[in-house]
Amino acid sequence: MARRLASSDRGAGPYIWRFSPLERVLHAMVIVSFFGLVITGTPLLYSHMPWARALIRLVGGFQAAGLIHRICAVITFGYFFIHVGHLTYRIAKSTDKKRFFWGPDSMVAGPKDFQDIRDMFKWFFGKGPRPRFDRFNYMDKLDYWGEFWGVAVIGGSGLVLWFPVFFSRILPGWMFNVATIIHGIEALLATGIIFTIHFFNVNLRPEKFPVDVVMFTGRATLDYMKEEHPLQYERLSREGRIEEMIAPPPSRAAYLWSVSLGLIGLSLGILLIGLIIWALIQGGWR
Amino acid sequence: MRERERGRARALRSLLPVVLVFGLGVGPDASAAAAQVESQEPSIVTCGVCHGDPDFLVGKATPERENALLVSDSILLDTVHRDLNCADCHPGPAVGYPHGPLAAVSCGTCHELEQIDWEVSVHALNVIDSGDAPTCVSCHGTHTVYGIDDRRSPTYPLNVATLCGRCHADPRIIGTYFSSPEEAQARVAVEQYHETVHGVAVDEAGLAISATCNDCHESHRVLPVESPESSVNRVNVVKTCGICHVGVLETYEEGSAHGEAYRTDVRTPEGYLAPACVDCHSAHSIVEADEPKWFVGIVEECGKCHQDVYETYFSTYHGQVTQLGFELTAKCSDCHTPHNMRPATDLESTVHPLNLVATCAKCHPEANQNFVRYYAHGDAGDRERYPVLFWSWLFMTTLLVSVWSFFGLHSALWLGRLAIERVRRRGSGHGT
Repeated sequence: MARRLASSDRGAGPYIWRFSPLERVLHAMVIVSFFGLVITGTPLLYSHMPWARALIRLVGGFQAAGLIHRICAVITFGYFFIHVGHLTYRIAKSTDKKRFFWGPDSMVAGPKDFQDIRDMFKWFFGKGPRPRFDRFNYMDKLDYWGEFWGVAVIGGSGLVLWFPVFFSRILPGWMFNVATIIHGIEALLATGIIFTIHFFNVNLRPEKFPVDVVMFTGRATLDYMKEEHPLQYERLSREGRIEEMIAPPPSRAAYLWSVSLGLIGLSLGILLIGLIIWALIQGGWR
Repeated sequence: MRERERGRARALRSLLPVVLVFGLGVGPDASAAAAQVESQEPSIVTCGVCHGDPDFLVGKATPERENALLVSDSILLDTVHRDLNCADCHPGPAVGYPHGPLAAVSCGTCHELEQIDWEVSVHALNVIDSGDAPTCVSCHGTHTVYGIDDRRSPTYPLNVATLCGRCHADPRIIGTYFSSPEEAQARVAVEQYHETVHGVAVDEAGLAISATCNDCHESHRVLPVESPESSVNRVNVVKTCGICHVGVLETYEEGSAHGEAYRTDVRTPEGYLAPACVDCHSAHSIVEADEPKWFVGIVEECGKCHQDVYETYFSTYHGQVTQLGFELTAKCSDCHTPHNMRPATDLESTVHPLNLVATCAKCHPEANQNFVRYYAHGDAGDRERYPVLFWSWLFMTTLLVSVWSFFGLHSALWLGRLAIERVRRRGSGHGT
C-alpha cells in the first residue's frame, strides 16, 4: 500500500501498540478542553482585536465564554486527577520501583535525555549522528511535564480568579492582579508551545508531515516504530516481546476519523496562533 | 377628530349669548353688518359677518387667500385669544366693505418679553436677512393660537419636535443654512432627537414632560451654542439640564470633582475643561444610561482626559470584557459614580479606602477588606507603583520567551538539518 497520509500508518506493518485506551481518552480530554480554554480565554488577552469580539460572540457572549472556560477547566482538573490517581495506583502496584521510575517506560528525565538533547544539537550542526530514542524521547517528556506544570500554574491561578471571594479570606486583593498576569502569560506559553512546538515535533516536521494519529488510534506500524523509537523496537525484539505488542490495524473508520480530527485540530491550532501573532504585531507585548 | 368636534361644540356654546343678541336683530345679513359697522366698534361679531361666512367670501380672492380670510367665530372662541377683538390684533381702519389691507399684526404689543427674546434670537436675525426663519405665526399659527398646554397646539411638548423639524429636518433649509462642516450636528439634530431617550419618551411613551427642543434651546431666545448667553452654551448648559435633573445637578455641584472643576474653570494639562452634562451625555444622541451602547461609550469618554487609568483599566478583567463589547462588568461610573466622583482621599468618595468594601459589594456581595485590595487599575508596566505586578510580569514573560525561543530554535535547526540532508542525498544520487 502506498504511503498513507498519517505518519503512524506509513510503511510496513504489523501494527504495534503504543498508547493504552486510558492514555488516548485522557489525551482526547486534553484536546477538547484545551481548545475550549484557548478559544474562550485568548479573546480577553487581546480584547482590542476585532477577532476577539467575533470569537466571543461566536461562542455566545462573554458569560457563555466564561461558562465554557470553567467547564473545560473542570475537564482539565478531571484528566489531571484521573492521571495522577492512576499513576499512584501503578506506582503502588509496581514490583520494580527502580525500573518504574528510571526505566524506558518512565516519564522521569534521565541522563540519556540530556545526552539526547546535546546529541540532537550536534546533529543539527552536522557534528554527529542523529540520536536514537527509546519509547519516550525528551520532547515527549517535556510535553508531559509541561502539562503538569501548566495545569498546576494555570489551574491554580485560575481557581483564584474563579473564586475570588473565597480566596480573599487568605490572599490580599492584589493577588488577583498577580493571578491574572500568571494565568494569562502561562496560558500563552502553553498555547504557544502546543500549537507550534508540539505540533511540529509530533505532526508537522517533514518525517511526520502532515499528521501522526498514533495518539488517537493507539498504534503505529513497525516501520514507524523503527524510525521514531528504534531503541524501543530493538529492546522489544531482543526481549522477544514484539509478538505480545502486535495490534490489529485500525479500522478504516477509526483511521479516517483520526486523520480528520487530527487535521482539523492542527488547522484550528495554527489559526489561533495566527490570530495571536496578528495581535502581537499590532498591539505589542504588554 | 372627535377632539376637534368637541372643541367646536364648546366654541359654539360660548358663542351662544352673542348669537342670541345678534338673533334679536335683523339676522346675519349685510344690513346687520352695516348696522354694526356704523357703531364704529369693530368686534368679533361685526368682522365675523363677512369673515365668518364662506359663501360671502367665494370669489372675493384666490382660493388660498379665501381660506385665510375665513375666520369663523367658532375658531377664534376656541383659542387663547378668545377674549380679544379682531381689532386688538388688526388695528386701524377697517370700516365697511370692501376695505384695504390692514396694518401688520404686532404680537409684541401684548407679548412684550417674548418679542424682546425673539428679536435677539438667531431666528430674528435670519428673518431680517432672508426670511426663512420663523416669526410668531410660524410656530403659533395666525388665528388658531392655542396655549402650549393645548394638545392641538404646534407648541405642545409632544408636537414641538415636529414643529421645529418642519425647518430643521427640511433638506432645503438644511442645505441653505447648515452646509458648513461645523454644522454637521445641526443637520441631523431633529432626526437624532427621535432616537434619544428624550425623543423616545415623547414618541413612544407619549411623555409630555420629557425634554423637547425648546426645553433646552429656549422657545423664543434661541441662540447659537457658541453664544455665552445661550442656554446650551457650556457655561449655562448645566443649569439648563438641571431644570429637570434637579437631583443630578445637586450632586454634581456639591462636591463632585467634575462639578468643582467646572465651577472653578480649571483645565487639565492637555487643555480639557471639566466635563459638563453634554460632554458625557452628548446633546442629540443622549441614550439611556443602562444601554450597552452607553456603558461601553462612557469608558471612551472618561478616557479622553483620564488616559493612564483608561489604559490600565483594560489590563483588568473588567476592562477586557468591556472592550469585548459587554456591559456587565464594572465601568468607570460603577465604581466612581456617574455624578458624584470624588478623589480617593475624600471621605465621601466611593473609592475612599473606607468605602471600597461597600462599593465593590455592589457587584461582589461578599467583598471584604482583603478583596478590595485588588488593584482596579493595576499596571504591570509601572514598576514604581506596582512592583509585585511588574516582577510577576517580568518573570512570566522571561519564562515564556526563553522556553519558546529554545524550542523555536530547536525546530528551526531541525528543519535546516533535514533540508541539508535532503540536498546531500540528491547530490549523491540517493534522492527519492
